[in-house]
Parts: sequence; structure tokens; C-alpha cells
Amino acid sequence: MSLLETRRKRLMEAMKAENIDLLLLHGSAWRNDYLRYATDFGILEGEGLALVGRDGEVTLYLDDALEAERAGVELGGVRTEHVGDLVGDVGRIVERHGNRRVGAGPAAHLPYGLSRRSEELRLSDATALLDRLLIVKAEDELNAIRSAAHLADEGYDVFRRAAIAGREDFSMIAEIEAFFRANGADDNFMIIGVGGPEVRGMAPPMGKRLKEGDLVTTELTPCVDGYFVQICRTLVVGEPSEAQLRAFGVYHEAMVAGIDAVRPGVTAADVARAENDVFRRYGLGDYVTSEYTRVRGHGIGLFLDTRPQILEEVDMVIEEGMSLIVHPNTYHPEVGYMVLGDSLIVGADGAEVLTKTERRLFAVAQH
Amino acid sequence: MRRGLIKWREDELSAGDVGERIARLRGAMKTAGLDAVIAYTTLVRPAAVNYFTGFTPYWSDGVLLVLAEGRPLFVTALSKRVGNWLGSVNPTCDILHSPKPGRLIGETLRAAGALKVGAVEADMMPGALIGDMLAASSVALSDATGLFAAVRAVPTSAETALAQKADAIASTAFAGLDLSAACVGDITGPLERAVRLAGAEECYVAIAPDLRRESRLARIDGREALGDLFAARVSVAYNGVWTRRTETLAHSGGRDGAAAARFAEFADRLAGLDPSIDLGARIAAEAGRSDMAVEDWSIEAPFATRPLKLAASSQAPLVEQLPYGVLTLRARIGDAPMVASRVLTHSEAGMEAAA
Repeated sequence: MSLLETRRKRLMEAMKAENIDLLLLHGSAWRNDYLRYATDFGILEGEGLALVGRDGEVTLYLDDALEAERAGVELGGVRTEHVGDLVGDVGRIVERHGNRRVGAGPAAHLPYGLSRRSEELRLSDATALLDRLLIVKAEDELNAIRSAAHLADEGYDVFRRAAIAGREDFSMIAEIEAFFRANGADDNFMIIGVGGPEVRGMAPPMGKRLKEGDLVTTELTPCVDGYFVQICRTLVVGEPSEAQLRAFGVYHEAMVAGIDAVRPGVTAADVARAENDVFRRYGLGDYVTSEYTRVRGHGIGLFLDTRPQILEEVDMVIEEGMSLIVHPNTYHPEVGYMVLGDSLIVGADGAEVLTKTERRLFAVAQH
Repeated sequence: MRRGLIKWREDELSAGDVGERIARLRGAMKTAGLDAVIAYTTLVRPAAVNYFTGFTPYWSDGVLLVLAEGRPLFVTALSKRVGNWLGSVNPTCDILHSPKPGRLIGETLRAAGALKVGAVEADMMPGALIGDMLAASSVALSDATGLFAAVRAVPTSAETALAQKADAIASTAFAGLDLSAACVGDITGPLERAVRLAGAEECYVAIAPDLRRESRLARIDGREALGDLFAARVSVAYNGVWTRRTETLAHSGGRDGAAAARFAEFADRLAGLDPSIDLGARIAAEAGRSDMAVEDWSIEAPFATRPLKLAASSQAPLVEQLPYGVLTLRARIGDAPMVASRVLTHSEAGMEAAA
């Protein structure tokens, strides 16, 4: 059974359990996990809507002509149509399905042209139904994530070798993306930080040149067969200072504490607290707040940043079959923004760590 | 996701350039009786906001709010932690952060006394965001896609230069290819590397590894073998402006080199055309002069929030003025299918006429 068939089977079972006749799923390159779950299409341009029948039949509607052409080549078993007016055309198709129960999602991204007709089109919110499937994965999906993890490690090796003093940040991204394209990763999310204490986070490259003493941080998140795996590491151009090494020790301890806390039955808050307690012990408690950091980890899968967000206020229970990254990334007042994180799968006995790159503050040659 | 170079380049798109565009929008708003216009942006639908700000989000989303007076407001769910970055790449707006951008826009509209609000592609905006906005205000919302299209259609020298720069990046990337390549990745990897090294904000590469077997382009595993005749398409975003370049490529030493070169020369000649209403007739005339049997053509152009969207084809003639366009041609030379894309920009005379 292919990955798509596995997901379709789960989807049909969930639809039956919820008594939903038809699912209407939206996706774009910004948020594509719901659409990809049912269609396997990695959309790049424009937007798409998929209609999924309870019998498993799927039709994908795309508003970009080239994307529809590409879908025709890349997808088997999914009927694809190019439509000029995505919400108008698909709305009329839903109308023609008559008196059926239609689940739609994700609610946050469903276009206004459809959501404002919810009553007329008998749309109910199917976000939770899809979320459950996306968060707790089938064994085949977990295997796909496992097999993708090596590309994150290899990608970081390419990144590390590309980090040379005098080089501009975006040229490093060029090396990474070329590597990923040539090796089967059809997408990648990455951001980067270059500099010292003035750097408070990561962003796309801005044209900064690497210089001696800079911390270079990155999240690499290659996508293989639709599944994202993330790795976070920090390197120093030249030899690390004592302050940088001391700071790194805190992040390392926090990440280990977070990963050790992962097991079925604990909450996302428990994992975040394990990470943050380490910072607090070192007098860095201010730097685990939202002023300096976003999350202490998150779910990964068909989207790179899914629930559960690893935060002390999130009480979602961690379950076997989830895939996560634990990353105590934040600002350090002495050395600047620093990152360290590994992807993992939640097993019956705890975390199965997927990314294998050494957990250390890398030093790269200046020339 | 956007992961290439994103920076404010005053020499390429100045604060004055985007200010002039905002002024034209306000003129249109006044004529239409609108108190405000909103435009939504994500990395997928960045074109309208980028036109007025030069900014594209790498992640998350945001809404540009233009009132009758004052600096435009950019309202985003991106956190304040990235506020400095946002300010550096989006310097012509005041930036507001909120986990509920729709609600903050509604509150801002209410405070400004705005009652009539136009939204670019209102029906494609997230319903939850619009719902929050309407709940926090008492505005009458209308669709402003047509109003924006009229403002957007005017070609500008800054945008024309950016489109030409993006195309030059793609052209140089193709020129550097080793056509003795064996696998898809030997083409797609170097193309992507070259485009990003040249400072592109984004790059998508699609390929038809064996044109005689399948002429549609897709994302293909890098390990797949190349045929004697193949085609690659590079979509480039440079400083917010999107172009595409497609080339038909013959494996070095193969039998198709002369045909591919002849077709590329034909496409290059068509690149000299203005993207004007009589495009179809002029393609036909050029094809006749070159003894080239064009089977199909299409032209894409920026439309509303979309960086590029199909605007016309051999079956559906061009009916609106375009600021610039990407022309894609399909033809056959002997048994060899051919495909090419070229950027069409307005000449100075064309720009004056369009303005």
C-alpha cells in the first residue's frame, strides 16, 4: 500500500466515523498539509481545493495552469482540473452534491468566498478531524519521516562546509538548495542568523558576509515525499570563544532534558518546562519568554510546524506516533541567538531521535 | 517557503517608486468612494502587497491597509521578535503585530471612521481573517480586484528593470549548464544554485526529462535519467518580481542540437515584442517569417495577489493591458517537440503609450 493509499484509508475511516459525506480541503505552499494528505500534491503556486468522497475518490482543483499541468505528471490516482475561479467553480460543484454533509478545512485558511457560504453549502468544520490524522501518524508515515532524516543531516554537512568567512549568507542557501534538489528533497524551509549579540533571531538571508567570531545559526527542514524533518545547529566562524562554548552548554543541556522528557502521556508543557528549567537554573529565565523565543519545539510532518507547539502553556498530551522537534532556540544575552534541535518520533518508551548530526558548537575554518 | 535573499534595495525599487503607486491607488480609491483598501499577502499571494511595499513574507501572512492618508499599515501575525527584520525589508509601512490581524484591522478601521472598504481578491482572503475584521468594525466590504488591476496595469520603469534582471539571472543560469549531463539533478541542481547565487529571492525548477515521451514539465526526482531532448523551466523571484524562462535543451553530441538552437533563436526574436493587445497577430507574423509552426502559446502576467497568472493564450486573446508578461511557446521541428518561455517587457515607447 502506498503512503497515499494509507492516508486515504485513514481519511475514509475518519469520515465514516464522523458521518461526513464529502471533504473540502484547501491548500497552498504556505499551508499545504491538509491538501497533501488527500492528494499528495506539493503545490507551489496558486491555491488548490480537493474534494474527497467517502468512497475515497479525490478530485484536485488548481487555479494555476502550470501547476495543474505539473500535477497531471506527478500524481497518479487523483483527477486534476485547472479552474479559473477556484472558489466560484468549486463552490458550484459542492452545490451540485445536494443534501450531503460536507466537512471543510483548515478553518483558518478556507477562502472567504467559501466560508461566507458555509450555511448554504452545508459546510462543517473538519479541521479537528484532519488534525488528529496529521498529528498522530500511521507507521508508514513514520517510516517516511525516518527515511527523510538522513537528508537533514547531510544537508547540515553541506551547510557547514559552505560556511566560510567572507561568504554572503545567501550563497550558503544556494549550496543547500542545489544539494536538496539534486537529492530528492522537493522543498525545504530554512532561516539563518549571522552575527553576535546583536542577532535576536533568524530570518531569510539579508546579504550579510560571514566574519570571524560570528555565530551562524540555521534551521534546515528538507521535505521528502511531503514529510518535513528539521535540524537546528549553530556554528562559529573561527574558534569559539569561552562565552560561546559556555552558552552552548546550556542549550545542549536543555535539549537533552527536553528530549528525555518526551514519552507518551506527558504534555507539551512538561517537555517545554524541562527545557526551560535548565535556562532558569542558569539565571536565563527571562530568555525563555515570548519576548525572545517563539516555541521550544513543535510537531513535524506534512507541514513543518504543526501542533503540538512545545510551550509551557500547551497542555496537549504527547502520544505514541507523533513526530516532533525539540529545540530550545532562543537569544542569549552574552553571545546572541543560538539554536540546537533534533527531530524525533514518539515511541512507546520515549523519543526515537532521528537526526544524527553531532550535538556540538561547530567551528569552521576562516578561509 | 521563501529562503533566498530578501532585502530592501533602494536603487532597484525606491521608497519613491512605491509611494507613487500608493498615490495612484489613493486616486482610484477616491474615484470609487472607498475609505480604505486592504490586500492580503502570503508567500503564495504576495503580488499586490509587494507592488505597494516591495515586501514579501517568507512565512506567515499579513494584510496591508491603505487609508486615504498617512503611511500604509502592515498588520501581521509575525511576532514582534522579527519586527526589526520586518522594518528593514518593509520600510515604507508602519508595522503592527497581532495574533489576530483581522481584529486589529477592524479596530483600526473603526478608529479611522472608515465605512467603505475594498479588498483585493476578497473571496480568496482567509474567511477567518475577514470574519474577525467584520466583527470588530462596521464596514461595508466590497471587492477591489478590478480597481487594483487598473492601478497595477501601468508599466513602470522599476518593475520593467526588475523583470529584465530576473530574466537575465535565469538566462545566465541556463548558459552555465553542462549539456552532457546524465541525470535530472545535474540540470536542476546547478540551475537552482546559479539563480540563488545571483541573489534571487526564490527559484522553482521544473523539467521534462525526455520531451519526446512527455512534454509537460514537472518536479522530477534528481536521479532520473535525461533523454536526448529535454526542457527545463526556471521560475525566478527577484526583489518581488517573478519571471520564468523555459529552454529546450539537446544533449551534447545528440541529433537535436540544431533544432533546439533554431527554436531558441525564434523565441529570442519574440522576446522583443511588447506585451500588447495585438500580441497574437504579431506572434503569427513572426512565426510566418521564421517558417516556424507554433502549435500553442500563452502569456502569464501579474494579476491581483498572484505573481503570475495565465492572461491569454492562442485560444483566448489578450484583452487587458499587461505591465509585463511571460510568453510560453510550443512548436514542433520535425518529430521534436519544442517549448520556450521569454519575458516580454514594454519598450520606452510602449510604456509611454500604456501610461
